[in-house]
Amino acid sequence: MSDPLTPIEIALDDEGLFFTRDDDEDTFRVAFKSEGDRYFVVAYRDDPNFLMIGSGWALPAEIELFDALDVANTLNVRKKFVKTALWEDERDVLFTVELCVRDAEEVRPNFGRLLDVLRDTAAEFFEELRDDEE
Amino acid sequence: MPLVRETIATFIQNEGHKVDVSPVDDDDGVSEILFKSRGQVFSVTTYERDPGTYVVSTAYEVPEWAYERTQTAETLQTVNEDFPDITFIMAHDGALFVASAEEEPGSPEAFTLSFWETVARVREAGASAIERIVDRTESKAAAEKFINSFMRGDQ
Repeated sequence: MSDPLTPIEIALDDEGLFFTRDDDEDTFRVAFKSEGDRYFVVAYRDDPNFLMIGSGWALPAEIELFDALDVANTLNVRKKFVKTALWEDERDVLFTVELCVRDAEEVRPNFGRLLDVLRDTAAEFFEELRDDEE
Repeated sequence: MPLVRETIATFIQNEGHKVDVSPVDDDDGVSEILFKSRGQVFSVTTYERDPGTYVVSTAYEVPEWAYERTQTAETLQTVNEDFPDITFIMAHDGALFVASAEEEPGSPEAFTLSFWETVARVREAGASAIERIVDRTESKAAAEKFINSFMRGDQ
């Protein structure tokens, strides 16, 4: 199987970003940072049409899980592309764009937009929670 | 002691971005660091003799169809009222403009703490300017179209 994430590497190059590869027997993975925040792109060897771009964050201890779920739900209703999910046990929040593609090349011209919407969703999530606290 | 430009370039690289560092004036220790963020190229000017001062800039090309020097200057002046800490300079006879923020955080370390906020401010001001330049041209084009067809008796 050819490397399905090569177009993503090219897109990251176009964006002027460094990246690292961390493939294993099940997955292809690219990790990178943009403006200091960490992101990843994953493709599965047994599901060549699935591609996920995401970023994971730890929920600060002072945030109530119920409040976080409420904000996540609001964002899931409102936001294009991005799914906001909470891993309650880990107290992690995950922002992902999950795509069904023939080839990751299809994602390349839209990569900047998808990254923007991931970044904006995470920013809005934490901003909403901060506002709720005040 | 590391050079100011190296401290800032290393910071930007650690944040995930490739950089291109070039000396502007070796004698005065002025350098320019170029990097790309969200599809836009930014420049950071560093001064070895003044490690407390920095300039963050980015250039926007005015679309050819929206090009009108006097109007662009007027629009930039209006936008400057909303973003008083951002300087707008027209270049290439109005075909592009540069949005810049001069920062005086006091040290390279302090500069890195507010770095992305500064970049965001410059980006927001520049994007707002280009949006208004384009909007204004579109309104003007629409008005002209209306006036022309009115004069021809179509309306």
